[in-house]
Amino acid sequence: MVSNRNSEWVSGVDWVTILIYVVLVLLGWLNIYAAVYDESHAGIFDLTQRYGMQMVWIGVSFMLAVVILLMDGKYWHMLAYPLYWITILILIGVLFVGKEVNGARSWIVIGPVALQPTELVKFTTALALARCMSTYSFSIHKWSCLLQVGLILLLPVGIIMLQNDTGSALVYGAFLFVLYREGFNRWVYVAGIMLVLLFIFSFLLTPETLLVVLVLVCVLGEGIANGHWRLKLIYLAGVALGTILLYFGGNLLLDSHLSIDVSLMISLGVSLPFVAAYSYRNRLRNVWMYVGLFAGSLLFTLTVDYVFDNVLQVHQQKRILDLLGLESDLKGWGYNVNQSKIAIGSGGFFGKGFLNGTQTKYNFVPEQSTDFIFCTVGEEWGFVGSALVVLLFGLLILRLMKMGERQQEPFGRIYCYSVAAIFFFHVLINVGMTIGLMPVIGIPLPFFSYGGSSLLAFTILLFVAVRLDATKRETIINH
Amino acid sequence: MDRRKILQGVVIGVFVVILLRLFYIQVVDETYKEDAANNVLRYEVQYPPRGEVYDRNGEFLVQSKEAYDLMVVPRDVKPFDTVLLGNIIGVTVPQIRKELRKASNFSRRRPSVLFKQLPKEVKLRLEERTFPGFYTVYRTVRSYPRKIAGNLLGYVGEVTDRILERDTADYYRSGDYIGMSGIELAYEEVLRGQKGVKVNMVDVLGISKGSYRDGMYDTLATPGTAITCSIDARLQAFGEELMVGKVGSIVAIEPSTGEILVMASSPTYDPDELIGRDRGNNYMKLLNNKRRPLFNRAVMAKYPPGSTFKLVNGLIGMQEGVLRPEQLYPCHMGYTVGRGVKCHAHKSPLNMVDAVQTSCNAYFCFVFRNIVDNKKYGSVKKGFDVWAEYVRSFGYGRSLHSDFAGELNGYVPSSEFYNKRYRGSWNSLTTISLSIGQGELGCTPLQMANLAATVANRGYYYTPHVVKRIHDRDSIDRRFYERHTTMVDPKYFEPVVEGMWRAVNQDGGSGRIAQVEGLDICGKTGTAQNPHGADHSTFLCFAPRENPKIAVSVYVENGRFGATIAAPIASLIVEKYLTDTITRPALVDYVKNMQIYYPAYGK
Repeated sequence: MVSNRNSEWVSGVDWVTILIYVVLVLLGWLNIYAAVYDESHAGIFDLTQRYGMQMVWIGVSFMLAVVILLMDGKYWHMLAYPLYWITILILIGVLFVGKEVNGARSWIVIGPVALQPTELVKFTTALALARCMSTYSFSIHKWSCLLQVGLILLLPVGIIMLQNDTGSALVYGAFLFVLYREGFNRWVYVAGIMLVLLFIFSFLLTPETLLVVLVLVCVLGEGIANGHWRLKLIYLAGVALGTILLYFGGNLLLDSHLSIDVSLMISLGVSLPFVAAYSYRNRLRNVWMYVGLFAGSLLFTLTVDYVFDNVLQVHQQKRILDLLGLESDLKGWGYNVNQSKIAIGSGGFFGKGFLNGTQTKYNFVPEQSTDFIFCTVGEEWGFVGSALVVLLFGLLILRLMKMGERQQEPFGRIYCYSVAAIFFFHVLINVGMTIGLMPVIGIPLPFFSYGGSSLLAFTILLFVAVRLDATKRETIINH
Repeated sequence: MDRRKILQGVVIGVFVVILLRLFYIQVVDETYKEDAANNVLRYEVQYPPRGEVYDRNGEFLVQSKEAYDLMVVPRDVKPFDTVLLGNIIGVTVPQIRKELRKASNFSRRRPSVLFKQLPKEVKLRLEERTFPGFYTVYRTVRSYPRKIAGNLLGYVGEVTDRILERDTADYYRSGDYIGMSGIELAYEEVLRGQKGVKVNMVDVLGISKGSYRDGMYDTLATPGTAITCSIDARLQAFGEELMVGKVGSIVAIEPSTGEILVMASSPTYDPDELIGRDRGNNYMKLLNNKRRPLFNRAVMAKYPPGSTFKLVNGLIGMQEGVLRPEQLYPCHMGYTVGRGVKCHAHKSPLNMVDAVQTSCNAYFCFVFRNIVDNKKYGSVKKGFDVWAEYVRSFGYGRSLHSDFAGELNGYVPSSEFYNKRYRGSWNSLTTISLSIGQGELGCTPLQMANLAATVANRGYYYTPHVVKRIHDRDSIDRRFYERHTTMVDPKYFEPVVEGMWRAVNQDGGSGRIAQVEGLDICGKTGTAQNPHGADHSTFLCFAPRENPKIAVSVYVENGRFGATIAAPIASLIVEKYLTDTITRPALVDYVKNMQIYYPAYGK
């Protein structure tokens, strides 16, 4: 078995994925080169420059990739928990001895090299999650099993939050993607999406409008479930009439002025007995579910303001307001995103050409070699280049999901899905923030953003998946 | 639904949204490209030197001399010796502080103008020391070596917001200079040249990163084109000297071309006062001067023409066939019909030539009534309009369309005007003042000089203009080459010229004081009544009688008789121009010593 292993894994390895990887890494390096390029340091191996360092990291990554491919895939299942705990311990250690950069205490410095263990924890968490969920007795519908999953995920999240690195912590949300694939209750997702929508609308809509929309949505939902459309119309008309009467009559009756939302709430309250009668007469108990949905949504929107003001930090509030277009401060909070959009937007269809990007070269874009590296892609390579990069990432993620599906062991499938989810989340958030679709969250663009830790971590993530995939096909070939 | 498919759908959907968004901001929305250019490109204007102005003999009237604006980028300023800087520029330390604060408030990293129009010497002294954050920008300022013809040449000022609003060609920017009056305004587009631009790239800190695309979009400034104007600088200076202490104007025209030789509006000002740093103060001083030195009376003041207008009435009468030159009319101290028009002592009866010579009022009352009451037109109104039509053919009642902006139309009344005023019931007697150039008539000194040129030419004129040559062009505006003929046949001019010649050169003439032996000056005096005080003194003349070289109109407000002051001035101008000598120093002193009291101007 040892004798012909080389030829076996060569045939079992998914070469498409590796090709995409190599192309992305090289494109990434070119863009880092462009982002920090200046005439006096043109040599590509100049280690005082970021592209020189990145070249070294690329070399290390390639070697690491080869090593992973040469190793037996079985070890990862075995090493999942130990690795997880080791990295968790390192993470805790960083809390105490780490170096603080940009407000986040998440770096350890060993000699000339600074590493971010956070990046590696994504990998070990994916392994641990795959190991946990692939045990025979695991069932996603059991609370005890879900508790285990929750612990595995929330432990690193908690520590990373303590390091004040919210962006990296949010990445663990990506595992919801995997859980869904493994059969997690879909209503959790429906509720989540609705909460996000409610959150956004609670900013964009006035209270009256939001209230009206909620009433309509709930009545519509109930109507779809139970019918009785005529009664729905009568009900809505009655509520509307009551609201109008209260609103305009409030002055006469109460000697005070009622706002529209208060009038609406009162008439909705008054309508409750009618709803109850309707439910009782038609024996429709699910009516109360919609009433509850309405009440819950209402409660949620009321708490949004509180959470927004008291839980989120100022810069997070501003980023959200900026994204929703509610507050514009192009010289302050909005500066980064605005400059980023300018850089990408000015690229046009074909781009300005390699090293000809003015916005990135003259430092209008902040963090241009790390979080905002996509600006260089957009500006110098235009729509053609940025679309190519986005497509390559899309292909890579779909490929990873396909690799997951063709695994015979749940361990491999869950792991591949985890990798796909992590890549998906990173690309969506990072590219999305540079083009104003997502709030600014400081997480790297895989293979593009400058930084050894993230390049190494993404390489390991990807190649372990490739190796697991190859193991499976190896066995098929052997038999 | 299959969860795999849903997840695939989610991934594909998200990537499609990202691609659409990329397509939108990179290909569809153009604003980001503009924003990027605004970010990185700095347009450095290259100011051209403004074109010079020469007089007809090639003497400099206006030069452009280099001047420098001191610029500052507040962020780059390091602590410096404010006292030294103040000494070099010639301002006080608090002034520097104030200007620096203003600049800082405007922008820390964008350049602001700190002090304008510093002379070259100051710039050189500034360069001996280093003041980080300060630099100078080349501009030009006007200088006026002869210090004459302020109103004629006009002045240059910074563009105002109103000019910027109306600048449809979008050439001007705040801080640019533009001609505000006179030749500077009239020939702005010739004189200004074309600004150039240097496109530089800057980084986020505003530090220059060199030329954009190796200067592909840079343009050089094109210097303004020089202009030779028709003014005779020495004559102009002489005219201005003579007018000191008087309010009024001298206009002299070369009849054969319409070129303006002298245009002196008095009081005038030293054009050098309206440049440099004291410009604002000086300008306000001039603006507050009650005699209004910034007001170019030669083209912007409307006066009654007075007796000089009798020439026109005589010419119209002859053309209309209602007057033969040898026709005799009596005059015993005035015209006695109606309210009557007074006259002075002279022989009677007299013919047309005598009437011009002596400036008889009564004679032209007869002539005017003959024209207006002419039976062939059926009614006074029609007759009057025929008369007015003739008058307009002499260039009255409308702007001559010379090259001065703001040239007045003057006024020639129409029958409609009197219909309105007298509700239809009026006749030639009602308007009898028009016969001697009084009443509702109004004209500019330029129009009067134009009449002198028209008579000199025996019936035609060229639009008076001040520009002789634009240096990069073969010709000036076409309208200055067009000959305008009056409605009066040239043959009728000879008796009028004879009368004008006699007025100056024969005993009994009203303008004897203007006579210069051998120059054959032909002139006509005028004494214009006006509601502002003493009569205006006016005189128009041309010389020599045959093949005239110069036509002059002098108008001195409240100068009394035409012969009192206007005639001597005109005579001296003619003599100086034709012979380049002054044979009557006593007359020069007489003119210069005459100071006129102007209660109407409050001073």
